[in-house]
Amino acid sequence: MILAMTVGVLAAGGVYLLLQRSMVRAVFGIGLLSHAANFVLLAAGVSAWRAEPLANRTDAAVAADPLPQAFVLTAIVITLAVTVYMLMLAVLGNNDDTHRMPNTGESHDE
Amino acid sequence: MSLLWTLLVLVAALAVVAPLTRVLGRNTGWPLAGLYLASWVAFLPAIREVLGGGETTWSVPWVPELGVDLAFRADGLGVVFGSIALLIGAVVLVYATRYLEPGRQLGFYLVMALFTVSMVGLVLADDLILLFICWELTSLASFLLIAQGGRYGELASMRTLLITFVGGLTMIPAIMLIIVLTGTTSVTEALAHPVWTTNPGLTALVAVLVAIAAMTKSAQFPFHLWLPDAMAASTPVSAYLHAAAVVKAGIFLLMRFSPAFHDTLVWNVLLLVVGLWTALLGGRVALQQTDLKKLMAYSTVSQLGLIVATIGIGTEYALTAAVLHTIAHAMFKSGLFMMVGVVDHATHTRDLRRLPQLYRQMPWSFAVVVLGTASMAGVPPMLGFISKESMLAAMRQAPGEAWAGWAALVVMAAGAVLTFAYSVRIVFGGFVDGRDPRPVHGTTPGLFLPAALPIVVSVPLAFAVGLLDLPVGRAVKAALPHLEPETHLYLWHGFTVELLVTALVIAAGVAVILRRHQLQPAFERTILPFDGVGVIERLHVLSRALGVRANRPVEADYATRHAAAIIATFTLVIGAGLLAVIPSMPPVTPGLSQPIDAVLLLLITASVVMVVAARSRLAATVSLSAVGILATVQIIALGAPDVGLTQLLVEALTIIVIMLVLQKLPLTFGSPTRLIRSSSLLLALAAGVVFGGATWVLTGRRERSPVAQWYLTEGPEYAGADNIVNVILVEFRALDTLGELTVLGMAGVAIVAVLSSVKDRYLEPEHEDDLPEPRLRAGGTTAERAIREAWPNLVPLQLVLRVTGPLLLLISFVLFMRGHNAPGGGFIAALVASAAIGLIYLSTSRDRRIGPARLPLYLIGGGVAFAILTGIVGLVAADSFLEPIYGYVFTEHVSTSMLFDLGVFAAVVGLITVAFNLLGSTPRPAPGESTGLRVDEAVEGALFSRPESVTRERQPRVNASTTHILDGAPPRELGR
Repeated sequence: MILAMTVGVLAAGGVYLLLQRSMVRAVFGIGLLSHAANFVLLAAGVSAWRAEPLANRTDAAVAADPLPQAFVLTAIVITLAVTVYMLMLAVLGNNDDTHRMPNTGESHDE
Repeated sequence: MSLLWTLLVLVAALAVVAPLTRVLGRNTGWPLAGLYLASWVAFLPAIREVLGGGETTWSVPWVPELGVDLAFRADGLGVVFGSIALLIGAVVLVYATRYLEPGRQLGFYLVMALFTVSMVGLVLADDLILLFICWELTSLASFLLIAQGGRYGELASMRTLLITFVGGLTMIPAIMLIIVLTGTTSVTEALAHPVWTTNPGLTALVAVLVAIAAMTKSAQFPFHLWLPDAMAASTPVSAYLHAAAVVKAGIFLLMRFSPAFHDTLVWNVLLLVVGLWTALLGGRVALQQTDLKKLMAYSTVSQLGLIVATIGIGTEYALTAAVLHTIAHAMFKSGLFMMVGVVDHATHTRDLRRLPQLYRQMPWSFAVVVLGTASMAGVPPMLGFISKESMLAAMRQAPGEAWAGWAALVVMAAGAVLTFAYSVRIVFGGFVDGRDPRPVHGTTPGLFLPAALPIVVSVPLAFAVGLLDLPVGRAVKAALPHLEPETHLYLWHGFTVELLVTALVIAAGVAVILRRHQLQPAFERTILPFDGVGVIERLHVLSRALGVRANRPVEADYATRHAAAIIATFTLVIGAGLLAVIPSMPPVTPGLSQPIDAVLLLLITASVVMVVAARSRLAATVSLSAVGILATVQIIALGAPDVGLTQLLVEALTIIVIMLVLQKLPLTFGSPTRLIRSSSLLLALAAGVVFGGATWVLTGRRERSPVAQWYLTEGPEYAGADNIVNVILVEFRALDTLGELTVLGMAGVAIVAVLSSVKDRYLEPEHEDDLPEPRLRAGGTTAERAIREAWPNLVPLQLVLRVTGPLLLLISFVLFMRGHNAPGGGFIAALVASAAIGLIYLSTSRDRRIGPARLPLYLIGGGVAFAILTGIVGLVAADSFLEPIYGYVFTEHVSTSMLFDLGVFAAVVGLITVAFNLLGSTPRPAPGESTGLRVDEAVEGALFSRPESVTRERQPRVNASTTHILDGAPPRELGR
């Protein structure tokens, strides 16, 4: 099941970034993890049926499961809100946790 | 009723202390002492009843469901201990009126009154729960009184609290066990229960617990160290609590529980051994002391040890001796403590090395002290002699082998020798051997008389000790209810072994007197390098170090450590679960994967690797957006058009917000250490395998679910709409969507709240790297304008905006209206509208605020409120919150869920506008100068500032035929 491998790749990348010290990297990691979670939800709807769940266009026998889609839609919007909030938190410090020392005016490139 | 009055008078005393101290100050002792005497007078009918052979009770139900009553019973023990507490309390209070400094002294009198109430309640309690509460109240009151003793008093009071609460902690399981074993909370019934004879194991356990509780209160080894420590309290406190009350509470407890345990071997042995050892230890250490009060404290420890050992014997004779010595000790010890206070007031010191020779200058005090110590040392014909003789005789009745009794007798005799020795130290060291030439002030009678009273009263009592027959006898009956004690106390018992022992003790004592100067250095040699206080302090330091050590895994400030722990646990648990579950899973449904999945897998892998490995923040962002687009394609490939649209638009908006944020951060990420890199990689790979494996194992192995069937076949008819996903969102599961709205709203408000509260940060970067200056044409040309100023570069975008802006809004409207029957709906429409706002934002040359200052917040709040209102309409019209109401408008099938969608629209637009306004709108400082605009000022500025000057209104907007770049005049831009 290829979707499972996609989930795995996204999860691995997301977890790696989440464990970094820079907050922006952590936010990117959470973004990747949320993609992985969305795919898990969609996979729960059994991806063997992939027609759009529109009653006037497709046959109900091959249409995809609509309930996980509704969940994923909600999840995506909530992730947007939370990502915006976390990015705001990330910007409150100038150096984004890249340095342990207090800001002495040194350059941030290591 | 008599019991009720006794207690009521004491509670009244507690209530009147505050006003009395305001009026009388330290003389409040007089009326309080009067109240105590009144309480004792109220107690007299009960006393008469008890001495006549009966018992008085009084009880009201307290917690009927648990069978707990507020029950009081006066029996022999209650009468004896209660009278001690009340009468000696009265004397000490009178003493305190002259001992204490002039002043309000509210704390002292209040806590003393509280203490007396709890002590009398303790000795009269007939309910186990009530007993425990009074027990803990006495601990608390003694803690409070010691804590009033200045700086050292605070430390000492903590140690006292620690130890006495250990006693409370052992008492709780003891009481619980008793209640469980006997099924009642009444003390008399519980103690008479046959379980104490039928179940030796549990009896032994409860006996040990009760004994430990009593030992903590009565300062037995190893809990003895709180008593000398408590000498930081003032002398009246010591005279009452540490001579007559708190320490006697432990003795009382032992006697109260004697009916059940008096012939339990563990009880006998424990009390005997600990008591005798404490007696020896206390006596030996007392010899070392130079502070008179500490000496008294250790002597109390030693005397209590003797009493405890005697109770441990458990026979009728032993208990008689114990009760008698309790009475004698209370009298002479409280008197001696008060006399120490008298000496202290006269000479301003308690240190034996600094006292002058007092016996000439304070003859009456000297006489009283001699009498008191003689009673303590067991010299005939004092009361203490009678009681000590009885105790020595009782030792011979020790259970077990015959030699046990003789051994106990010998040890107690050694204790008696030590007692005599430190009594000598008190008398001679305190009054005779002093050489210090300090002045001696006179003693007020108000101080001296109450101090002398207990000791002086005990002298004739020794000759008339038959008077105590009845009370002591009743007390022993209460402690050993199965017996009918015949108590005869008299001064002269004839030539017995005990008399011989006493004679030997006195002889040894006289030798000590004669040789005291030679023996002094031997006495004062320190035995051990540490003392009890040091032990407790060490324990304290150790437990704090342990706490710090235990905290270390979770004390990190940054999130990685915590996140790693959570992820690692998750991975382990899920991984293990998967391995366990795989064999029993049904087979995979065929046809799960399509070719496009493989293509997307490759591309997504490449993009994820780029996000992870990117050093530059911009590269990471671009890779992240690539992942987002690929996710959109995958979602559409899975047959979810609505979701795909949403994902695409959310991706775009997220990237815009990231870019807003990135412009304030450094160009690159810092690079982590090798350790962090490799360990994160390991954990990430493990997590990825587990996630992917879980998806493979746990999904895709069934037929279509019945719920999906229902939605696909019945849903459209039910709602009259074709886009089933949208119908689910706003009709079937509208409450979830309402929750999501609230999250959006909260995020928006939280952003405003956080930014407006940050006062020590600045949003723009502190340090601009000097960019190299390109060589430019002369000033005023279009080329120079193109490089140096921002607005010319944006003129094309502004032109595009004039066309696409309205188009986007139209598309948003169409998507909104068609949501019910085709992909679309409130969310997607709102995101498209937000995209339009984003475009406006991107087309301005400076970060400007879009729309009025408070508009976004009103949009959010209004949207959520409107959605809830729609739900209430459903509640009112159709009896269910958020139930959609259907209708027809111009033959178009509509429902109130569209109004709900409108609320969603407003809230989403509000959130995005908040993000753009607040994360962007800081005025860019001119090169080389920093505005120093703080974060919260920026927020306030964005929220509350007025629009800029009106002259800008005159400038024309960009349209197809203007010549802004050529003229060099900036066009009017949207936003404030």
